[in-house]
Amino acid sequence: MTARDAATGPVLEIAGELDHVHANTLREVLTTLTLRPGQRLVLDLAAMEFCDSSGITALIAAYRHAQAAHADFALAAVPAPTRRILRIVGLDQTFRLHPDSDTATRPRPTTT
Amino acid sequence: MCRTGQPDPHDAGDEQTSDAAFAALLEDSAEELYESAPCGYLSTLMDGTIAKVNTTLLGWLGLERAAVVGRMRFPDLLTVGGKLYHETHFAPLLRMQGEIGGIALEVKRAGGARMPVLVSSVVKHGDAGEPLLIRTTVFDARDRRAYEEELLRGRKAAEEARKQAEADRARLQEALAVLQQSLLPATLPPVPGVETAAHYHTASPDRLGGDFYDVFPVDGKRFAFFLGDVCGKGPQAAAVTSLTRYTLRAAALHDPDPVSALSTLNKVLHERYTGSGDPRYCTAVFGTLEPDPVTGQVAIHLASGGHPPVLVLRADGTADFLPTPGGLLVGVLPSARFVTATTCLAPGDTLLLYTDGLTEARTGQDRTSLYGDEALLAFAARHAGKSPTDVIQALTDLLDGFGAGLDDDTALLALGAPAPTL
Amino acid sequence: MDIERRNNVTVTGNPQGPTVVLAHGFGCDQNMWRLTVPALAEDYRVVLFDYVGSGRSDPAAFSEDRYATLDGYAHDAVEVCDALDLRGAVFVGHSVSAMIGVLAAGLAPERIGALVMVAPSPRYIDDDGYRGGFSAPDIDELLASLESNYLGWSAAMAPVIMGNADRPELGEELKNSFCATDPDMARVFARTTFLSDSRNDLKSVRVPTLVLECTQDVIAPREVGAFVHQAIPGSELVTLDATGHCPHLSAPAATNEAIAGFLAGLR
Repeated sequence: MTARDAATGPVLEIAGELDHVHANTLREVLTTLTLRPGQRLVLDLAAMEFCDSSGITALIAAYRHAQAAHADFALAAVPAPTRRILRIVGLDQTFRLHPDSDTATRPRPTTT
Repeated sequence: MCRTGQPDPHDAGDEQTSDAAFAALLEDSAEELYESAPCGYLSTLMDGTIAKVNTTLLGWLGLERAAVVGRMRFPDLLTVGGKLYHETHFAPLLRMQGEIGGIALEVKRAGGARMPVLVSSVVKHGDAGEPLLIRTTVFDARDRRAYEEELLRGRKAAEEARKQAEADRARLQEALAVLQQSLLPATLPPVPGVETAAHYHTASPDRLGGDFYDVFPVDGKRFAFFLGDVCGKGPQAAAVTSLTRYTLRAAALHDPDPVSALSTLNKVLHERYTGSGDPRYCTAVFGTLEPDPVTGQVAIHLASGGHPPVLVLRADGTADFLPTPGGLLVGVLPSARFVTATTCLAPGDTLLLYTDGLTEARTGQDRTSLYGDEALLAFAARHAGKSPTDVIQALTDLLDGFGAGLDDDTALLALGAPAPTL
Repeated sequence: MDIERRNNVTVTGNPQGPTVVLAHGFGCDQNMWRLTVPALAEDYRVVLFDYVGSGRSDPAAFSEDRYATLDGYAHDAVEVCDALDLRGAVFVGHSVSAMIGVLAAGLAPERIGALVMVAPSPRYIDDDGYRGGFSAPDIDELLASLESNYLGWSAAMAPVIMGNADRPELGEELKNSFCATDPDMARVFARTTFLSDSRNDLKSVRVPTLVLECTQDVIAPREVGAFVHQAIPGSELVTLDATGHCPHLSAPAATNEAIAGFLAGLR
């Protein structure tokens, strides 16, 4: 799990399996993350190979963390099986999904 | 290293010292060694009469030589238990083998105290091989016996601790069984005009599952039913299961509308677990059924929160999912959208609710592929037209066939309008 | 059930001769008769066996209920006689086995035609007007000794290792463990032996009986020998010049002579 900063805010790249063990790691990483209001927390799932119900719980925890910080939340490059689960449990309506991290970290058009 | 030729001059002083010590040893007579040896010595005639005994043993016994020699037999020195043991084990073995070693006995001391000893005996034979006398050594075994008793006590304590642990485990199992019964209905209530069947497969060894279902009456004509899956496993999940079950039952009595019941549950779970740092949620299908006694049809109204779509098996041999897309997990957000669906079961139709333990079961040689929605739909179509009991039985057999590939709890609930009896 | 295997039955001596059954007492096993067999083998067919729970008997056949009374052991003896279809055999019993022989003769009169009782005692505990040689606390002490297993920890007394086929290196040691028994089974035998009271069974003996006692025996004092002799109608009493409880080991010549003389008189 690696973190980097984009113009929009922190980006967490999740690789491998987001199972019980790694879900806990993600939740620990979240607590160390500084997230300012108006920023966007992006989870890049391009390299994620597997996600079970603990993984979904961790994604929800990340979503709540962003909400608490008055920040946006987005998922990038969600693998098809996980997208299917998100659709079944209705979270595809709640999480903003982007095809890749580039689009996920594109600043919102500002109106002046 | 070997010494060669001349002695090393540096060793001369040491050698003088050890020579002096050796000379002193030579003056230690065999008689003196016999009398004051750090063990007891005893010689008896073949009938056990004591002919010779050393000072060490007399000291242990607290007896005068004159009172022992020629007057007592070896068994007389022993406790009664020791005497019996001597006669039934020690003496016969000594006779048969000519020697015996390391037997634990107790000797009586003057004043009534007992002293644990280890006894070894050997028979001295004459030139013609005839037994002449018995030579016996007696070792002080007080420390050893104390240690052995400590070991025995330890073993006894360990044995008791093991029994206690077993009793505790039995009590815990009993408590778990009672809790488990509170999570699922023991039997489904009879629903007039509707046939019901259910099955629960538990994957957890402590038998506390995270899936749930129930069927219960809400008013004169309607019954409510639900089935769902709490995230996680074990006691924590079971606590959520319990909260979920009783919340849904209470909510339905207040307002049996499916979206209303799920919204109440959403609110309860969200408030209970938000801020706990341990978000808990569930997926659930909640519905009501209303049989029409005239037509034999059953009207179904249901709502889903994040749960896989239910299946409808028609009497004509077809099967279809009843889609509820977009219904959100229950308990994740302060307010959630739930998606409703309705259908009508004609006689011979069956509604099947299941949890994803079924569709997520790993199949195939290497257990890497999942059973999946399509296989389930095909299976349902093959069993369409059968009664709920038969459908559940077929699915139970299917689950059994998954073996180790079924690693999650699975709940199944089937509700059907009975086919007309011909 | 294979009784011959269960009770480790050995048949030796003269197959044409009358049958003599040698029965061991509490403590060891049929090896106790090692010095007796040669004296009888020429003229008699000699049968040896181990009671269940002793020697090389089948440990799986042990039952605490069955062997909680001397009757259980008497049934062992009768079943051995049945298995060999013995008729009118002479039953030579040492110590508690002498009383087991009395019970067996009552159970199967056609099987047992005479009794030899070596150092017998029908009751070990002193009673009103009866001197057995021990008080109840004495026997409790022996039982406690066996119970806590603090007597007999040497290799020679060690419990027979079950299923020792897996450990052939133990074979040598086992050859010398005649007195080795499972402590739990030995405890049952000890309790049954030393708490028994068979005084009333003596008067029912209807077969020729030889009572052998020793001049000095802490387990069966001479008063007890006299009691047994008086209680069994027509019995013969021989006092051997021997000390200890095992005259067949400590004074084999005198013991064999007395038994052989009695057997010759029966023919």
